[in-house]
Amino acid sequence: MTALAKQPPQLVRTRPLMTLNGISKTYDDVTALDDVSAQVYPGEVLGIVGESGSGKSTFLRLMNLQETPDSGSYHLDLPDLPDNLFTLDRFERRMLCARQIGIVYQNPHEGLLMTHSSSGNVAERLLIAGERRFHVLREKAQSALEASEFPIPRMDAPPIELSGGMQQRVQLAKAIALEPAVLLLDEPTTGLDVSVQALVLDTLKRLQQERRITMVLVSHDLGVIRTMADRVMVMRRGQVVEDGLVDQVFQDPQHAYTQQLVHAKL
Amino acid sequence: MAYVATRGGERAIEQAERLYRAQMGPIDAGTVAEIEAALPSLIDRVMGEASLYAPDLAALALAQSGGDLYEALLLLRAWRTTQPRLQIAEVVEPDQGFTHRRISAAFKDIPGGQILGPTLDYAHRLLATDVLQGDTFSPAPVEPARKPAPARHPSLAEWQKEQGLIADKPLQPVEKDDIPDLTREPLLFPAKRAHSLQSLARADTGGMLALGYSAMRGYGNAHPTVNELRLSEVEVMVRHPGGATFSAGRVKTSQAEVVTARGKTDLSIGFCATLGWNEVKVIAGATLDLNAPGAPKNSPVNEEFFLYHTEPVESSGFCIHFKLPHYVTFQSALDNLRAARAKREPAKSPVQTEEPA
Amino acid sequence: MTLASLTENWKAFSYGFLDASAKREMRRKMIKAVAVPGCQMPYASREVPIARGWGTGGLQVTLTLLNKASVVKVIDQGADDSVNAASIRRFLTRVSGAEATWDTLDATLIQSRHRVPEEKLRSDQILILQVPNPEPLRPVEPNMSVARQMHADADYGRLWLTLYEQIVRSGRIMQGAAYPSMVNRRHVMAPSPIPRWDVPKLNMAEHLTILSAGREKRIYAVPPHTSVEPLVFDDVPYKVEDHGHLTCIRSGLKGFFMNEIPQEDGTAAHEVSDSHLGIKAIDRTSGEQVEFGETWYKDGEMQQ
Repeated sequence: MTALAKQPPQLVRTRPLMTLNGISKTYDDVTALDDVSAQVYPGEVLGIVGESGSGKSTFLRLMNLQETPDSGSYHLDLPDLPDNLFTLDRFERRMLCARQIGIVYQNPHEGLLMTHSSSGNVAERLLIAGERRFHVLREKAQSALEASEFPIPRMDAPPIELSGGMQQRVQLAKAIALEPAVLLLDEPTTGLDVSVQALVLDTLKRLQQERRITMVLVSHDLGVIRTMADRVMVMRRGQVVEDGLVDQVFQDPQHAYTQQLVHAKL
Repeated sequence: MAYVATRGGERAIEQAERLYRAQMGPIDAGTVAEIEAALPSLIDRVMGEASLYAPDLAALALAQSGGDLYEALLLLRAWRTTQPRLQIAEVVEPDQGFTHRRISAAFKDIPGGQILGPTLDYAHRLLATDVLQGDTFSPAPVEPARKPAPARHPSLAEWQKEQGLIADKPLQPVEKDDIPDLTREPLLFPAKRAHSLQSLARADTGGMLALGYSAMRGYGNAHPTVNELRLSEVEVMVRHPGGATFSAGRVKTSQAEVVTARGKTDLSIGFCATLGWNEVKVIAGATLDLNAPGAPKNSPVNEEFFLYHTEPVESSGFCIHFKLPHYVTFQSALDNLRAARAKREPAKSPVQTEEPA
Repeated sequence: MTLASLTENWKAFSYGFLDASAKREMRRKMIKAVAVPGCQMPYASREVPIARGWGTGGLQVTLTLLNKASVVKVIDQGADDSVNAASIRRFLTRVSGAEATWDTLDATLIQSRHRVPEEKLRSDQILILQVPNPEPLRPVEPNMSVARQMHADADYGRLWLTLYEQIVRSGRIMQGAAYPSMVNRRHVMAPSPIPRWDVPKLNMAEHLTILSAGREKRIYAVPPHTSVEPLVFDDVPYKVEDHGHLTCIRSGLKGFFMNEIPQEDGTAAHEVSDSHLGIKAIDRTSGEQVEFGETWYKDGEMQQ
């Protein structure tokens, strides 16, 4: 790691890496997101909290370009990208996601091929990006799994034979295999035992510190957000009700809903 | 006789066909006429699946194939596809048919009345073994009703639309010459509605029953109620080059509508129709149609799934093609297997990869 | 002028069995297939008088291309005398009056199931391969609509992954026949269940190959001088069947794809799969004048 990376990222680059502006999305008659904007700076961890139905997962899926909003724009501050990523076609989105956006889902079935090998799951991402050397696929899959603290002797076991915590580590390895610009985490430790949850969070934390990966972490669990995030957005009914540094929001919540959330947890 | 004899193949297949035909003996016009007269239900089923309304050709195909349904179908389809498509008949509206049988399970009585018509539904299925002892099985004559049932009937769904029970979707008018024709273009998905209904009309009765039954037992998302089942005869109205429209004859048709209340404000409806009288087929087909909207991909009630897998000529042909020799592909697989084993035996390590060349 | 002079008498079947509208559709779809190499074109696929899965796709192509001057060769698993090949050949000659041959050199149209002849094809010859399953993505995506979209996007990651998985599990690529191959660097095709031995013969070939799946209603083509590259990792070479060193017990030919014949003593003998090549070799041994074409493989090695 360079010395630069150890400094607060805002000092290195002041332009946000991700900019989402005025995002609205409705399904049938239900408004999932109503004019939501967010900015994420390089190396930062943005937490998004809210109860189920608040729109936080929809927001994350949009960041992963899995869907297109009714209105709003999305920009990533990387070379050769359009001002609004939602103008990309399916093919361009797939290539961009393979290279620059990693995602870990709450449900490993969403992110993994359960009966393929774990290393193959990681390799798939490299294959999509065009890697055609078998030994490079093996090496890169192995090093991503190592970085996710996955036991290497098990690297060719299919996820279906692994524990929930290990499955999340495979998802994580797949997400970071190509060193993406952004890592999206959708309730990555929900449903895991508390002790396993802590271990997975440790891995995430370590990765974040070592690699300064920009992350967006969606969780309903304030504890998880508090451990991981620099900044937090509180969402309710498709809108952002409060937004600020984690310590500030949790110690001195302004919005009534946030106050209720914080008090219920503490 | 060798399977792939070196030189001898041509004689072998010739003799094999003769052996098969020897079981059946000669076929003449009398045989064909007898089959046509004695087995109307079978003729109907074959005509529906062949999508060719020609009872005498259907009987001939059955005679020629010794009663092998899939062989008979292939004979008819292969004949049908070479025939010119002279013109498209006029559209038949549901209430224009001459109704022989019309029942609804949804209501005790319906406008126009329930008409039982010809059916074995309430017959006791006792084998008439006396026939084998030399007796003749002569059905008792039909006693005409005092008041004949009306020949034409309104559609029950029309009444339900007026009641607001079924969404009255606007008609999408299509010139009859522009109706997509499944026999002239491939079935692609999402399927055109005309293609879906045409596929159902000529689908395999047994296959449709199997998949429809799975939906009825609970693998689908909707439980069917028979809204209306109809057996009719309809006029085939065609246009003379001079301009006059005339009837080229009548064809028997079956149609079924099944409905379900799927927790919404109105009823969902599934439809299937076919040439000939074949009740099992149209009820099963309508059930599949009812279940298709929003069905998960790769489930039996997904349209792509059931339409592909109930195509009788394709499915039966592929099934029997496995009798053809496959030794080249088998040899290719064997080569891999041996090489993999040879590689594994000395090393025994879990992953052995090829060294770069 | 009389009506009779302008019309033909009624016949039970058209020349070449298919009617004119069916042939027109076939011609159009073949041209499309040639225009976008390796891309599957849907077609109506009429019923023909043999069962689906028995070569109806190839048959429709051959029936459309046939004329009275054609010379047709039909093989199944490499053999002209295989029962289904015999049946198709008999039908083709019956409905067209075209000549039939067993010799690859004499044929103008070669309809084949699962093999490409060992003698090099020329630019005046067309190879028609019967295809049971045209979709190379079927093992990773059974839904045809989704698979079509994946082709449109050149989304072949899953397919590569199956090769990766095979190496991880078995130490080598286990794909046998029908090896998925990239055509013209754009579309991955199933080259029909020809052995791996035959795939390189399609690459930058002189002849046109048309692949047709009757049951699945898809037609695609490899035009002459078009690249066909089996999907393979840069550091894991493509391997054809290890047949280069085998000798045919009947003809003495060596270095071609063989059929393995189990023997009662527990061993196996081999005979050359391209049966007419074997026959020609036997005829030559017994002193007959036989013309041999140039072969793709020499001494068991592909020449290119």
